[in-house]
Amino acid sequence: MYKFFLYTILIILYLGLAKVLSPSEHGVQYLQNAGGFSKIIKGNQSTVILIDTHATGFLIKTYYQKFRVISGYENVEELIVRTSKEFAKKNLNHIGLSLYRKSDELEEFLPLPPGSLYIGNREFGEWKINKKGQTVWKFNKVFKNFPKYLGWGKFKPDMNFYQQMRSSISLNHPFYGPHKEFGPGGKITRRNFPHFFKEERMKKLDMKTLLIEYFKENF
Amino acid sequence: MAEIFDRLVIRILLAAFVCLMIYLYRYAHVIFYPSVKRQVLKKIHPAENPADTLHLFSRLVGISIIFSSITFNESSGFFLSLFHFAVWGTIAIVLYLLSLFIIESIVFYNFDYTDEILKRKNMSYAFISFCHAIVIAYLTKTVMMEAENSLVILLVLWLFMLVIVGFSVKYFTFISKLTFNRLLIQKNLSLCFSYGGFSLGAGFIIASCFDQEHYDITIYCIQVLLKTVLSLIIFPLFKKGLVKIFPVYLGDERGEVGQIDTDMQSLGYGFYEGCIFISAAILTTMIVNRIQFGTIYPFF
Repeated sequence: MYKFFLYTILIILYLGLAKVLSPSEHGVQYLQNAGGFSKIIKGNQSTVILIDTHATGFLIKTYYQKFRVISGYENVEELIVRTSKEFAKKNLNHIGLSLYRKSDELEEFLPLPPGSLYIGNREFGEWKINKKGQTVWKFNKVFKNFPKYLGWGKFKPDMNFYQQMRSSISLNHPFYGPHKEFGPGGKITRRNFPHFFKEERMKKLDMKTLLIEYFKENF
Repeated sequence: MAEIFDRLVIRILLAAFVCLMIYLYRYAHVIFYPSVKRQVLKKIHPAENPADTLHLFSRLVGISIIFSSITFNESSGFFLSLFHFAVWGTIAIVLYLLSLFIIESIVFYNFDYTDEILKRKNMSYAFISFCHAIVIAYLTKTVMMEAENSLVILLVLWLFMLVIVGFSVKYFTFISKLTFNRLLIQKNLSLCFSYGGFSLGAGFIIASCFDQEHYDITIYCIQVLLKTVLSLIIFPLFKKGLVKIFPVYLGDERGEVGQIDTDMQSLGYGFYEGCIFISAAILTTMIVNRIQFGTIYPFF
């Protein structure tokens, strides 16, 4: 009994010390749910785009997510956080979408295409009619790099896109674009966030293939 | 050809210099064991007292282990490399003998070297001392290599190592069925094999805890401490597991009717415990040091 007690104390001591002193505990913030963004994101006119997600561990998984934080008047930065299992699972289908937006103390948590915060905001750009006669959103010169940061590529949102997005917001439904261009199945997201969609990350290996690859690599 | 011959001459000269350092060590040994002055400084008669021979020459093995960690950098000049070896060799000798003196003061606090070795010729005492010499040498070597020619870091790590070793030797009473003091008085050989296995195992574990990359001394010491605590958690699992896999029958009943010689039975138990301790320790180092969990960064 005495030895068992000592052993338990040792385990508690180890876990306590490892938690306090582990390098992974420093610098990586924890995000319980979307509400936690308020504490992490300080800048105004900010949008947070989920760009990667990963789980480590065997029996007890630890979930990490990588976000691109774009603030209207600050530098673009990438943020890695530890998240809860529920939050990570919930957002598996939200890669490439903006999960959090903050504008003048107003916060939104509905998954929307990246840049939805800025579309229609005259501080950042204006609606223009292109050669085809479509009304499209164009960022001001100061924000000319935003389409690249937002992962739009050559995509230019038009009035139809904007109206459908507003309608989804009013219904509180996630929006993936009129033709589902955004999100894990969307071609714009797949083209502009290639790291997440790399072939080797996507393929699921069965035990036989794993063993064959192991023997090829090692013998 | 001339260059090859020159290098051979350098090697021979350096070998002679190492011998000179060991000669100096012989005198340093007397500082901590003044009672052996007569034996050490005159001709040694191994046949007269095998326990004393084992005790003395275990130190020689130990100092050789430590010297093997010091490198000669001939490219910086022959005399400078000799000077470097002399400085670090002297530091090694001092630290090694001081460590041995402290650890033996802890383990043999009830025993006196003169009584046990010189008068009683206690082989059990000598063998335990031999194991201490090897283990301390191995650990001092590890610490010297980790210090990377920094005297301050060496002193910090040496003190830290000494604290861990000091605690670890006390752990024996928790995990062995053999009573240390009583059996040592009886010159019981089973104790020395069991304790030998334990101390060598503890040495492996502690050395493996120190063997890691370091950029910051504080973080390094914390990592060593964490690994040591982790080893304390893993080691009993292996020990219990090995005992379950290889259950032994102490054979008290058979011993009583005279079918097994009681001394041999006891010796066998010493071997058994010693081997279990070493195996469990080596396996513990594998679990503590050889598992790569990776990081999130290759993925992100």
